[in-house]
Amino acid sequence: MTTLIHRPEYASYDFGPEHPFTPSRLAVLLDLLRCLGHPAAPVAAPAATREDILSVHDEAFVAMVEALDRGETRPEAERFGLGTPDNPIFPDMDLAARWLVGGALHGARMLMEGAETRVLQLGGGLHHAQRDRAAGFCLYNDLAVAIRAFVDHGWRVAYLDIDLHHGDGVQNLFYDNDQVLTISLHETGHYLYPGTGHIHELGSGSARGLSVNIPLEPFTESESYLEAFEAVVPQTLEQFSPHVLVVQAGADAHFADPLGDLALTTQAFQTLYRRILELTDAHTKGRVLMTLGGGYEAQVVARVWTILYLTLMDLPIPEDLPREWLERWKHLLGPEVGRTLQDPKPAFPELPGREERARRNQDVVGRLRDSLLRYWL
Amino acid sequence: MLVKEIMRKPVTVIPVGTTIGEADQILLSRGFRHLPVVDQGRLVGVLTDRDIRFATSSLCQTPRSAGDPVSLAMSSPPLTADPLDPVEDAARIMREHKIGCLPILEGAVLVGILTGMDLLDALMILTGVTKPSSRLEVALPDRPGELARLTAFLATRHVNIHSILTYPTPDATVRTVLRVDSTQIRPLAEELRVAEFTVLWPLPKPQPIP
Repeated sequence: MTTLIHRPEYASYDFGPEHPFTPSRLAVLLDLLRCLGHPAAPVAAPAATREDILSVHDEAFVAMVEALDRGETRPEAERFGLGTPDNPIFPDMDLAARWLVGGALHGARMLMEGAETRVLQLGGGLHHAQRDRAAGFCLYNDLAVAIRAFVDHGWRVAYLDIDLHHGDGVQNLFYDNDQVLTISLHETGHYLYPGTGHIHELGSGSARGLSVNIPLEPFTESESYLEAFEAVVPQTLEQFSPHVLVVQAGADAHFADPLGDLALTTQAFQTLYRRILELTDAHTKGRVLMTLGGGYEAQVVARVWTILYLTLMDLPIPEDLPREWLERWKHLLGPEVGRTLQDPKPAFPELPGREERARRNQDVVGRLRDSLLRYWL
Repeated sequence: MLVKEIMRKPVTVIPVGTTIGEADQILLSRGFRHLPVVDQGRLVGVLTDRDIRFATSSLCQTPRSAGDPVSLAMSSPPLTADPLDPVEDAARIMREHKIGCLPILEGAVLVGILTGMDLLDALMILTGVTKPSSRLEVALPDRPGELARLTAFLATRHVNIHSILTYPTPDATVRTVLRVDSTQIRPLAEELRVAEFTVLWPLPKPQPIP
């Protein structure tokens, strides 16, 4: 079965009303699950300790977050990526971030104890957080703390990142660690934040070949995305033979996301989730730790992550969105929400240049595979 | 950006009496392509791996052998630059003369060397890709104050700029490429369009089918 991890305190990770990474996205999601007759019964995990955070972050950075958390004014905060438009300072930010890290860590411990095989944290996925600085809405790297715990337990960890943005924080933290494979699919960093995640970023030292990046053209659609996934991910996992899979399941690769340019549909996400579960059955005895991640359109993330939840729970996917849910949240859902859980077909007008984009994605994947093959021999 | 910020130092040099064979070994073992040649501490030439290939080729009219001195194969006198030269000037010299390196002299003293690879490093630093950032492209009219208008706009949004590159285009606009410390450039691009900037990237999004 699947264990859900969540607690009301996750809503305290809040950069303010104007910020896209708003906790109201989670409230809308939880209410949709409830209205569909599947109220989430989550486990409330304890907050991560300072020591847990220091397993991947620098003391000076953590001390800075704690000082700002106490309301102190520190002019040098921006050097740590704090107090920027992406990462505004807010009260109790240290504790708010430790709740999220604690959830991922608790999920990791359940997997290590053998108490569970599938864990979904309804929150977190703070993959941009670096060793010594906050970045891209991410304070502490919950994924990296969980991965570190798995590694200390003696496990090889495969990390899969399907967020719109490159998972640079997790990649950097384990770039030379041969117990950790990181795979990130994302819109190319030629344009989009954080500007990295190119195919030649392959890891260093004994971990060469264990950092895998699949950068995709802006406006890449479902078919081309899934083709790239199939060309790289299954074989890479097979070569590495991990004990556990950690997944950052950001939903911002959806076509209607306001911050990005990939063009996936809800149907593509469902296919992707099913494939991920099949791959865990094949390579990790079904063990998977998932978090949420990016995704900035409330009506989209509620629908996409509901499909994630139902897929993990082996539940059927209903057709219609509940009326009471549409009514209750219409101030947040906007005019573009339809009446169905899945996107309509077609979901958007034909995007010119589809074949050219698909060809460029195939070329990139081909170059990546040429690079990887030498490490697989 | 000045040459002294990106040049390599200290420089490995060879005396003018070194044999071609010895110089070839140094190039191979150290992974170099260029060796400044000195005579009593004074720079007299540059020897490249390509100079050696040409000088010793059997297709050459008077092929040199491994025992000949490097003075028979080197380029002399070498083109040089000053550590206080801007990198773009150094790049122009190297491009115009199609050469792969510039020894850097302070007076008569050899203080560094600049190669094509160092210029690529400079390009990467100048374009700002070494920090997490997003790319914004704007076409500005080619007249005073336009860049100021753009950066002032970004300042009001508290967006930190990692780098700005501008270059002229045939249609008489100035293509301006910024790398900015923000994930939220789509909303930013929409605001810029409202303020009548021509934003080339990100593109407006197609509307979903209702």
